[in-house]
Amino acid sequence: MGNVLVWITWFLAAAACLGTGVAVVSMTNPFYSALSLIGNLASLAVLFLLLSAEFLAAAQVLVYAGAVMVMFLFVVAYLGGRADAPWAGGPPLLRAAAVVAAVALLVEIVVVLGLAWGDDLTDPAEVSDSFGSPAEIGEAFLTDHLLAFEITSIVLLVAAIGGVVLGTTREKEEEVA
Amino acid sequence: MTPQVEWYVSLIQAFIVINLVMATFAYLTLAERKIMGRMQLRYGPNRAGFRGLLQPIADLLKLLNKESFQPTEAINWAFILGPFLAAFTALVTFSVIPFGPGWEVGGVYIPGQVADLDIALILVFAVGSLGVYGFILGGWSSDSKYALLGSMRTCAQLVSYEVALALSVLGVVIMAGTLSLTEIVAAQDDTWWYAAPQFVGLIVFLVAGTAETARAPFDLPEAEQELVAGYHTEYGGMRFGLYSMSEYINLITLSALCVTLFLGGWHGPGFDGASWTGPLWFIGKLVFLLFIFIWMRTTLPRLRYDQLMRFGWKVLLPVATINAVITAILVVAL
Repeated sequence: MGNVLVWITWFLAAAACLGTGVAVVSMTNPFYSALSLIGNLASLAVLFLLLSAEFLAAAQVLVYAGAVMVMFLFVVAYLGGRADAPWAGGPPLLRAAAVVAAVALLVEIVVVLGLAWGDDLTDPAEVSDSFGSPAEIGEAFLTDHLLAFEITSIVLLVAAIGGVVLGTTREKEEEVA
Repeated sequence: MTPQVEWYVSLIQAFIVINLVMATFAYLTLAERKIMGRMQLRYGPNRAGFRGLLQPIADLLKLLNKESFQPTEAINWAFILGPFLAAFTALVTFSVIPFGPGWEVGGVYIPGQVADLDIALILVFAVGSLGVYGFILGGWSSDSKYALLGSMRTCAQLVSYEVALALSVLGVVIMAGTLSLTEIVAAQDDTWWYAAPQFVGLIVFLVAGTAETARAPFDLPEAEQELVAGYHTEYGGMRFGLYSMSEYINLITLSALCVTLFLGGWHGPGFDGASWTGPLWFIGKLVFLLFIFIWMRTTLPRLRYDQLMRFGWKVLLPVATINAVITAILVVAL
């Protein structure tokens, strides 16, 4: 019973993830693309939950769906284009057929691989109780992956400073002119 | 460890808690109008029922009976989804707030909160940050410049003050060493409530929280004189009711979070009575905080928008950061 529920949830989340992912790139109106991206991030968070990574799921929603995407929507809503149709017609028939053929090929590959190595893939991972807890993730960041963690923080700092520089230059030019 | 919780207990508890929160919302509106009336030397609502006690019911019936109109150019699904999203996220957050120690009734264990999570605090912030989309969707889909401007302001304000709010809580998290709200309450059991060592954090939390819930003096998203009503300008009937509800419930949740993090949760001051007094202490502190929020609304005039942004980024954020850093140093040193 519990297993069936997990499968149903997984299937819905995975389908939502793929569907919204396609919608992000195929929508013409950027506002709808941004909304689809939020849906994508949310369904990804559900997949994280199924992998018993609660902290990662919550952080994903908090940082990406909550903070980053608000900025996207903010800018898009300011720029207007609200009246644009969400979707300006599909791709030509030939392209659609090509996508269908590619998907069919992908399914075949997955089935063949699954038949060949199915036994190895079905082994359930052994997950300890503390797996994915904030304490464990924090410890991994500050011991095994300290260098990557610090470099990431520097990259983010550079990006933030770059944003400030880009945002202030225009005002200075206006003052000079 | 906490005993196993039966699923039907959680279901019944969730139902009761949601309804209690909504009842609190209804009477919070009445209390706000009454207290504001008294502070402004007038009576406030006093016609419906004894001393106006039935006023929230009358308001509800009025909203339910109104026609749910919308502008012709409004985007249908987003216009309807907005209020629902806002109300949903507001109600969900309360599920992780602990209001009592947990009880054993007839062999069935009843926990002191609907859901006990290791990451409860992050969940509160994550769901809260999703609530912004309800306001953006509503304002954007309304096809009205006032609504759009209102939702832009809401959006910018919430994003700015969320940073300070999260950082103000960091000191408590460092001291308690956990993100679980039940463990944070337990950590305040035999020591000072965190309001004392984290006094700076408490002040920043209250100020940033006032801005997060768009209450005066930070109520720029719905400044009546400039924006008619903000993002819900085009809303009427129960859809407006849902928006209004989500704002008040966000205020209630924020106060409950403040009680949990800084004021010892359901613990009494220095002593604990019988286990059933826990929720009473919790409600008492909650009402006290809500009164302070109403008091602030009647007392303080609204800020200008640039003042609001400058205050958030240049005062609150540095203070919250320094507070977190000093707390971290002290926790490691002591």
